[in-house]
Amino acid sequence: MTPNPILGCGIGLRFQHIDQILADKPPIPWLEILSDNYLTPGSVQQDYAIEIAQHYPVTLHGVGMSLGATEPFNDEYFQRLKALADQLHPAWISDHLCWTSAHGWVSHDLLPLPYTEETIKHVVQRIREAQDRLERRLVIENVSSYLQYQESALTEWEFITAVAEEADCKLLLDVNNIYVSAFNHDFDPCRYLDSIPIERVQQFHLAGYEDKGTHLLDTHGHPVSDSVWGLYKLALQRFGALPTLIEWDNNIPSLEELLAEAHKATEAHIHAFA
Amino acid sequence: MPLLELQHSLISALFQRDQLAEAAKRVKAQGSLSSEQRVGIYRNSAHGILLDCLESLYPVCFELVGTEFFGRTAHNFIDQAPPTSPFLADYGAGFVNHLAEHPALQEMLWIVEVAKLEWARHAAWHTVNQVASDFAQLEGLSEAQQAELRFQLPASAHLISSNTSIHSIWLAHQEEYPEKPQFEKIDLQEAQQVLLFREQRRLHQTTLSTDDWAFLQAIQQQLSMGELAEQFADQLPWLFSVAMQEGWIYSFTTTPPA
Repeated sequence: MTPNPILGCGIGLRFQHIDQILADKPPIPWLEILSDNYLTPGSVQQDYAIEIAQHYPVTLHGVGMSLGATEPFNDEYFQRLKALADQLHPAWISDHLCWTSAHGWVSHDLLPLPYTEETIKHVVQRIREAQDRLERRLVIENVSSYLQYQESALTEWEFITAVAEEADCKLLLDVNNIYVSAFNHDFDPCRYLDSIPIERVQQFHLAGYEDKGTHLLDTHGHPVSDSVWGLYKLALQRFGALPTLIEWDNNIPSLEELLAEAHKATEAHIHAFA
Repeated sequence: MPLLELQHSLISALFQRDQLAEAAKRVKAQGSLSSEQRVGIYRNSAHGILLDCLESLYPVCFELVGTEFFGRTAHNFIDQAPPTSPFLADYGAGFVNHLAEHPALQEMLWIVEVAKLEWARHAAWHTVNQVASDFAQLEGLSEAQQAELRFQLPASAHLISSNTSIHSIWLAHQEEYPEKPQFEKIDLQEAQQVLLFREQRRLHQTTLSTDDWAFLQAIQQQLSMGELAEQFADQLPWLFSVAMQEGWIYSFTTTPPA
C-alpha cells in the first residue's frame, strides 16, 4: 500500500483532539502521530491511530529509538514500531539525533550527543541498523540543546550533515530547535540553515519556546514566536515549501487554535513564493 | 572520553542529584550559566516529563495531596525508581507503594487506596483488546463440555476491595459528573468493592454488592459452572443474569484451567 502524500502544513495528533477529529473530520492536510503513545499491540490506543490513518495522511514521530545510545537497541521497541508502521502505512518515520537511554535507565528526554568524528561513526552505524530493522529510510530531527560537551570538536550543523550523508537518511529540521540552540550556544541560526544540504531535508517542525531569562527552553507549550517564524521563512526560501508540522505538547490549546497556527505556516508557504 | 562513560555520567546526574557536579565536568560553561546549571536543566526537564506522567496517572491523588506534596513525593520517587523501559505507559506502577511508605500518609492510607484505583484504570485502558465469546454457542455444548464450562471477566477487569470509599472519592473529583458526591460528605471509612473494566473505548467503574462481588470473584477464580451452582445455589440465575446484562462476563471456555 502506498502511503498518502504528505503536503502542506499539518499538526501533531494529541489525544485531547482525537474524538473531535474523528467526529468532525476537519480538513487537516496531514497528522504526525507520536509513535511512542501507540506502541501497545492490539490496544485501544492503536485503534485510535488506525482510525486516524484511515482518514488522514500520517507520519510516525518518536522519541524512544535512542539512536545515539551505546546500549544495544531495545528489540521489543523496534518490533512494536515496525508492527505499528505496517498497520498505519505512514509516509515516513522520524526520531531524534540524540540518546535517551544508558546504564539501564531511560530518560524519556532528548539528550544531546558530543559532536565528534567518533560519535558520527557510532550514530551512522546505529541509524543504518535502525533503517534495516524498520525496512525504510529514517528521517532524523535535530534536538534543542542546553549544553555542549568539552570534547565536541564540530558544530552541530557539521555533525548533523555528516550523519545524514553517511547514514543516507533524511532530515527533519526543527526550526524552533535551531533557534533555541542558537540562542543557548550563541551561534548564528542562519549559518546553520545555510550549511544543511538541501536535498536531505524532508520536513520542518515548528513549536513554541519559553524564555527562562538565562536560556530558551523548548517547551512546546506556546505559539511559535515571531523570531522562529522569521527563521522559518528563510528555511522555506532555502529548502522550498516542504511539509511543515506544528508541535504543541504542553498547555495544549483547542483544535481550532492549533489549526490556526498551522494555517499561519501555510500562509508563510504562500508568501515565500508569491 | 568514550561515549559510554559520558552517557553513564549524564544519565546518573538526571536521577542522582549528587552526580550533577561529576557530570558537569564534561560540559562547557557558557554565558551566564555554569556547566552544572546546564546539566541541571536536563535534570529538571527529565523530572518534569516524568512528573507530568505521574500527574496524569494519579490526577485524583494529585488533587488530594496538593501540588507541593505531590511534586516533592514524585521527585523522590523518580530518583529512587528511574524508568527502565522505553514505553512510558509502563512507568509509575511503583508510585502506589512509594505513597504507601510515606510517613505523612500513614494516617491517610485511604489516599493510597485511591492511587491503587487510579493505576488500575491506567492498566485497564492499556489492556490489549480481546474478542468476546459467542454466547449462542452455549446451547450446543455437550454434557461433558457443560461440566467444564467456565466464564471469564473482560481481560481488562480489576476487582478491587478497599476498606475506604475509593469509588465515591474518585467520583467526587470528576468534573464531568454533574451528580458527583460532595467530597466533604463522603464517609471515608465505608468499605467499597469496585469493578473496573474497559469496553472498547470506554472505562466502566462501578461499586458491587457483596453478592455480586463474591460471584465475580468466583468467576475470576475460574470456578466451573457446577462449582458456581454449588456455591451460589438459588442466587445463581439472578447473579448470572445481572453479570451478563452489565457486560461483566465477556467470554467462556470449556477447557479446564491449566
